[in-house]
Amino acid sequence: MRSNRILMVAAIVVYVLLWSPVVVLVVLSFSNNRLGVKWEGFTLRWYIEAFSSSAVISALRTSLIIAVVTVVVSTVIGTLAAYGLYKYKLRGKEFLRTSILLPMVLPYVVMAGSLLIFFVKVTHIPLGYFTIILGHVVFCFPAVVFVVLARMARIDWTLEEASADLGADTATTWRKVMLPLLAPGILAAAALIFPWSFNDFNFSYFTGGVGTQTLPVYVFGLLRYGDTAIINAVASLFAVLPIIILLLMGFLSRQKTVVY
Amino acid sequence: MEKLYRKLVNYLYVMPAVIWLILLLAAPLGVIIYYSFLTPDLVTGGVINEFTFDNYEATLARGMYGLIFLKTLGLATATTVICLLLGYPLAYWIVKYAGRWKTLTVFMVITPSFTTYLIRLYAIRTIFQSQGIINSVLLNLGLISSPLQILYTPGAVMAGLVYSWMPLMILPLYAALDGLDPSVLEAAEDLGASGLQKLRTVILPLIKGGIVAGIIFTFVPSLGAWLVPLMLGGAKVMMAGNLVQLHFLAAGNIPMGSAVAVVLTAMIVLILYIAIKLGGKEALERIA
Repeated sequence: MRSNRILMVAAIVVYVLLWSPVVVLVVLSFSNNRLGVKWEGFTLRWYIEAFSSSAVISALRTSLIIAVVTVVVSTVIGTLAAYGLYKYKLRGKEFLRTSILLPMVLPYVVMAGSLLIFFVKVTHIPLGYFTIILGHVVFCFPAVVFVVLARMARIDWTLEEASADLGADTATTWRKVMLPLLAPGILAAAALIFPWSFNDFNFSYFTGGVGTQTLPVYVFGLLRYGDTAIINAVASLFAVLPIIILLLMGFLSRQKTVVY
Repeated sequence: MEKLYRKLVNYLYVMPAVIWLILLLAAPLGVIIYYSFLTPDLVTGGVINEFTFDNYEATLARGMYGLIFLKTLGLATATTVICLLLGYPLAYWIVKYAGRWKTLTVFMVITPSFTTYLIRLYAIRTIFQSQGIINSVLLNLGLISSPLQILYTPGAVMAGLVYSWMPLMILPLYAALDGLDPSVLEAAEDLGASGLQKLRTVILPLIKGGIVAGIIFTFVPSLGAWLVPLMLGGAKVMMAGNLVQLHFLAAGNIPMGSAVAVVLTAMIVLILYIAIKLGGKEALERIA
């Protein structure tokens, strides 16, 4: 019984550690303190200031556009690769699988830094939306490959054969049979990588150039110029929104499992 | 002829992924390997096409950079150990005592990481500041008479690293512990094993794969960290990743930055290789 107590205290300590930054941030965003570091009475001032700023809105739009394009490109590339890896005997398959894992373990600062040199010194591609998306897909699509591969292990492949036997061409089979079968995996992968791209600071900072500011890059700029009270408000919204969405998703999926 | 064609078609599906990896991962890495052997032109900020080992010598043999690499290894090791020591009790508690709250408690471990990384680090910065919460509480309790300098110390950087990668330690530990057969633990208890004996002789060998995966997930990103030391360590506590960022973005000494990046990457690949050898196939499969 005693070890049970000790364990619970240890668990609570870790939970407090994990949650305190987010909680502190939200509390301070309502504090009437210019520096946003201590409590000096309740105010909504920083929220109003933040959302009357066109820079915040434009950074949010940039982040959303990049995340949506990244998710679409990554799911297409990842799903096709998973299909190829699952179905066919390919030469160098093991090597390819390991290579696909690489972007998930190499340091982001090295990948983003080398991309910057590659774009600026070698290929002379102007930095902006395009270069950020190219980088985001590199670290996002591997996750799609492995999530979709896991789904492929659980579907009924005779349905694909049946479709072909009944005269459907490859495109039709994909549209009518494979995609619906794989949809849960593809959607799970998309839900996983969307926040990766939306929250990314590394690639956006290195390969974004001067003109293209995603939300994390914009917040980083605010930090440098010390407008900290507004940051608390912007940051709180983006700290709490994903958590609410996730909790809702978890709640809904739980409802669903009860129904089935 | 048609057989060859069919065989080539099989490769078509993986082609976009292969091309993407070659053009946007392998080629850029190749470029920095090439640059790491060139001579920097310190006047123009460009490079001179002259082969040299100087950048590697400066990275590994000369005092300051070597020291930063050692500090990076030390911080990453300490981070991993602390994550393991704090993460294991939590994972064990969830598996053994959370009962019907299991899903929620696991969820509570992951959810904070869905907030932008930069913003969470900024929040930690707020807490650590001289006017921040820790100092206010200590001052009000009369435990200290003037604010402590917490920010810009190695301790602050380590706290940031632990905070950032802790969930990645807890999840594989939880998965491994959850897969344990409870009857094995009961058998150990029935045979009179003490808590520590049970942990050492029964649990640890069985969850070795989970531990190796957790260590990889915390040690490797800690080694490559640059934003945590930038936000919490400032110019006082730099890690290897900061050298890369400094040379690529600010100082413009690309060959030097490239050499640091290559050494850092080589270190990580080597460590991964050793870890996978040690943890056998299970750890690899866990990552995949």
